[in-house]
This record gives sequence, structure tokens and C-alpha cells, in this order.
Amino acid sequence: MAQAGKGKLNYRCPSCFMRDLDIDMFYDKEKKEYYCIRCQYTGTEEDVLAKNEMVRFRYRDMYKRFTNFD
Amino acid sequence: MEKFVVNIIHRPEMVPEYAEKVTGHGKEEDIGRDALLTESLDIFRLQQDCAHKYGLKTTIQMTYASLFNEEAISIAKEHHEKYGDEIALSLLGLPCKEFREKYKTKDFCIWMFSMEDKKSIVDDVFGKFYDIFGFYPESTGSYYMDAELVNYIKEKYPSVKCAVATCWEEGPKAYHTCNNSWYTFMDGGPWNPWIPSKQNIHAPAANEAEDSGIVAIPHLSRDLLACYDGNGSNFGTHPQNVLRGMIYDTKTWEYPYLYNLIDQYRSLEKYNNGYAYNMMFVGPGWLNKMGRWEAPFELLKKSYDDGMAYYGKLKEEGRLEDMTMAEFADYFRSKKTYTEPECALWRDILYGSDKQLFWYCDPYMRACINMDQGGALVDLRPYAAKLKWEVGIGTPHIQDASYPFLIQEKYRAGYFTHYAGEGTVRSAKLSYHGEEVDLCLCRTKAKFSEEMIADGKKTRILTLEPVTIEFYDLTVKLQTKIYFEEGSSEIRMERTVLEMSNPEAKVELNEYMVACYGTTEYTEDMSEITLTCKGKNEDKTIAYAYKCREEEEAGASSVEAVIPPVDTKVSMRMSDEKAVGYIKEGYAFSPMFTLGYKTTLMDKEVVSTWLKLEKAN
Repeated sequence: MAQAGKGKLNYRCPSCFMRDLDIDMFYDKEKKEYYCIRCQYTGTEEDVLAKNEMVRFRYRDMYKRFTNFD
Repeated sequence: MEKFVVNIIHRPEMVPEYAEKVTGHGKEEDIGRDALLTESLDIFRLQQDCAHKYGLKTTIQMTYASLFNEEAISIAKEHHEKYGDEIALSLLGLPCKEFREKYKTKDFCIWMFSMEDKKSIVDDVFGKFYDIFGFYPESTGSYYMDAELVNYIKEKYPSVKCAVATCWEEGPKAYHTCNNSWYTFMDGGPWNPWIPSKQNIHAPAANEAEDSGIVAIPHLSRDLLACYDGNGSNFGTHPQNVLRGMIYDTKTWEYPYLYNLIDQYRSLEKYNNGYAYNMMFVGPGWLNKMGRWEAPFELLKKSYDDGMAYYGKLKEEGRLEDMTMAEFADYFRSKKTYTEPECALWRDILYGSDKQLFWYCDPYMRACINMDQGGALVDLRPYAAKLKWEVGIGTPHIQDASYPFLIQEKYRAGYFTHYAGEGTVRSAKLSYHGEEVDLCLCRTKAKFSEEMIADGKKTRILTLEPVTIEFYDLTVKLQTKIYFEEGSSEIRMERTVLEMSNPEAKVELNEYMVACYGTTEYTEDMSEITLTCKGKNEDKTIAYAYKCREEEEAGASSVEAVIPPVDTKVSMRMSDEKAVGYIKEGYAFSPMFTLGYKTTLMDKEVVSTWLKLEKAN
């Protein structure tokens, strides 16, 4: 198996992101998947993007524009 | 008068942070690659164009590497002439072939070098700047500037009046986020500009004798709630940091949070005599053409342009004044007194919690009050100690530049602990017939007000909405007011019983402070600490030895802890002269100490407790 590389974008591990860790993932061409070198997450690009949406659950006011800060 | 000032800073960094490491993946390291240099200048131009397009002036912080690049120098000179941009000098961006050949190291953070190297690098960089531009800069900076470095610069190059000097709450949290590979430990400083003392850069000067001679500004204006709890690098006036936090709509590429953050900073004028501040300082590595993590270049570029456009719109509407760093330093000194504090009653604008924190910073302390915990004091830095804390190679703190805390609820548990022991917090407990309630569990909100005292000084007051404490057969309605008297080095907490369901009842009030000292999550040796309960006739003392001992004294005039490793004395006193003062030693599984007072409260009674910080020696 050849060495892993980076994908066209430099995705972070969504599982680690949820615990406040920014870890670059690497791409396994043979398995066609990204994998985390710290935890056990693996996933396709589609799965990474879906999980990245999921990690935003804590930002309940992400779309809200505030006008009052009292 | 309302005034919102913005500093926009750009640096032509010939080897942008991340660019070589990230986009160069799979290639041998070569920091002199032509492609890298070309891209770096392209990014610098792009950032400058964004600002100028919206009518904003910038501070161009030349890096050491850029002083070897004719094109970067020529752009700086041209933009100074055409747009009034300030040509300044950064101590970031040291890496380049010339630097590595001369200093034989890959270190790049100025505060981590030995003092000898710091002086040599400063002379080298300032000298080269002078040779090129014919003058010495008025502004400089890095992510962190230690007091010894600033003192040297000010002595040797007195023209310097402003510096980017710290990154708010960038410490262990940032380190962890980077998989324990980002060594910027600089927690515990001010979040908005300040006049640093000669003794410690974090601690504002209390008077002219302590004045370092510069105005310090933070690197970025950071979210005072999100950064306190989470990774600082996701929540600041740095559009690409907001993308890093994934705080944007992936379909529309919109990020209301960035504008909410800017607007909340604007709103802080209410607490600071009409003045508010923002700074944006995006390093070129964040506008990499290869994209940054999952954000493509187009999104990186759009977010930077949008950030500048928003500042430009505010300027057009007359609600923002853009200044260079040097201009800002003059303005700041013209309106600031040494003892005037910086205040921020900050609300959650991201998580939907409605939480409120109050941050207070003056020459004697930085303090955080958490309204979600009944107005508990959850972070306390004893600036009164003006702690000498040298950093860099050859000192006891090579990387750790944080100002130590006495209380830090995130690193040392706060109210909630697992299984045994206590965490650091300053709160109060009410007891009645065997039941006990801690005010940390009484969520509330606060309003800010001010009262004039002598010599133009004021007391800043937080008035908390009353909370209801329910015992089995008694209900107590209690209000807390917290007073910060300018120049006093004290925090006064006043409790008023507004109502009791049984007006004859007596409840016990226990005002307490659990504390320790440190800069990280890990405990320090407490053995040098001495606790004293000052009685009417005698003092009772405990020399800390992890033996879980306690002492108390009715009518104690004060309870105190002296903490030699951080040169700090912290004490409490109470308005009720009959109250029982107590001191408690911790033990190995709970390496804390407690100071407190117990008294009884009846309906309509009021009692105040003061916490005071002093230099120990």
C-alpha cells in the first residue's frame, strides 16, 4: 500500500473537532477514505461533510443576528 | 461620547505560518522557495487592497524577512504615502534564510529566546528597519511581548509607543486544540488595550513609575465567553478563525457571528466611558491559495473582504474611527487614567444559552463574575503582585508566559468537582436546618452601573437580579450587588435579604473563597502557603502541609493567605464584626485552601464581604 496524502481540501477529523482538537486527516487512496491519525474516525468526503454539519449543533445562535447585547 | 476605534494590521510575512508546513506537505522544507515568496506578497497585497477598497487605513508591520524584499518595502512606502498607513515593525515573521543562517535556530517566537538573543534580534531587526526607512518604528509587536523585552525596546528605541502584546486566553486550551504542539501559553491578560507595567506585561501600570511607556493592544478582539471556555482560535475578530470554528453556513457562506462579535465589542462603550475597541490582525497564512482546512481560498478571501466591508460600512455611517497603532496609542493615553478599569458585561452570542459574564481589569486584578453561577467569582488574577515572571530560554518559564490565577473555574474545577474535594471559586452558601444551598446554583442576570467617588474615580457596580432559595420550610429572596471601587484592589460582595417566608427565621451565610495558584490545569506545590485568621487577641496560623486542618475565630478582623510563589497576599473581611472567620487547609486530593466568614442573616439584613489583593512582600 502506498503512503497516504492530503485530499484536495485539508479536512480535519470531525470527531476530534467535537472535543476541541484540530487534527488534519489523511487520505487513503485504496480505501477511498479519510482517516484520523489520532482517533479511530474514518469516512468518505461525504461523511466528513455531513459530520461537519453535525458538529455545529452547539452553535444554536449561529444564524442569528443580534442587535441588543444587554 | 461614543467612540469605536479599529486597528487593522497587516504583515508581509515571507514564509507565512502554516503555508510551508501545510501547503508544502510532501515536499522537502525550503523556506526560500520562489513560489512561497510570490504567494506571500500576493496575500499581503490582497489584504491591503481589501482595507483600502473600503476606505480603511492600516498598520503595516514589516517582518524581518520582508526587510530583505524590495517589493514588500516598496509597497509599504507607496501605501504609507497614498493611504496614510503606518509603517511599523513586527517581531513575528522572523523565519527566513537570512535569519536561520545568522541565528542557527528554528525558534521564531521572540519571547522564547534568551534575553541575550532577544536583544540581539531586536537590534538586528530595528537596525535593518532604520537602514531601509530612515526612521525607527513607533509600533511593534508579536503574539506576546514580555516586560523585559518591552523595557529593552523602550529604552533603546524610545520612539516605540504601541505594541501587540498578548493574545487573550491563548494558553493550555490552544495548546490542546493543536494536539499539544502550539506553545503559546499567555492566559491571564487584558482583552482590550492597556498601559502595561514595567514589571509584568499583563498587569496594567498603577502609576507613572510603573508605566512601561507603551500602549499594549491584544492580538484580536476575542469572544469573552466562547474563548474562555473553548479554543480561543475560533472566536475572534479574525474572519478565518470564525471559519476555523465552522461558525458559518456552508451553503450561503454567511457568518452573522463575526458581525455579532464586532457589534458586541462596539456595545462595550457603555461600560468604558464611551470608548470601544476592535483589532483585526490576520496573518497571511490564513489566506492561502491552497485553502485552509475545509475552507477553499474563495471562502477565505470572501470572509476577509466581508470583514473589511463591515468595518468600512460602519466608518461610512460615522460609527467607527480607523486609526494606525501609533495614532491609537496617542488617543488612548489622552483619555485613559491609570486606575480606570476596563469592563465588559458580556453575553453569549453563539450558543443560545443567555449566559452572562462580567470581566473587570485594572492595575490590581483581572476578575470574572459568572451570572450563571449566581455572581460567583470564577477567574481571578492578582495583578497587585506585579509579578516578575521572566520568560524564554534561560529563565524558569521558557514558554509559560501566563499570568497566574488564584481562581480559575475551568482549570481547577470551580463549583463542581468529582467525588471529593473542592474547586476554585468565590461564592456563598446559605444554610437552614441542615440544608445548604450554594449561590453557584442560582442562575441570574446582572445590570451595570457606576457611582462617582473622590478625585474623578468611580465605583463600578453589578446589580444581580434577586434569586430565590428554597429550603424545605423556608424561602429566602436574596440579592447580590458586587462593587469594584476604583483603585481599591478590593471586590465587595453585598448580600441583601429582600424577603423571607418566615420573617423570624435566621439563616447561616457562609462567604467563602476556595483558591490555589497556577497557570495550567495541573496543581502546583502548595507547601509555601501560609493561612492566617486574624483574631481580636491572637492570630491563628496554618503553614500549608496538606493536612486538612482548619482554624476559626469569632470576630476575626480578616482571614488571609500568603502565596510566595506568586508574591500575593489575598484576604477577606466582613462588615459583621461578630462573624466567624475561618481558614481551611486542603489535602493531597484537593490541593486548595479556603478563606471564609460565617454569620447569620435575618429578613431585610444586609452584609458585605471584601476580598483584597496585595503584593505579599
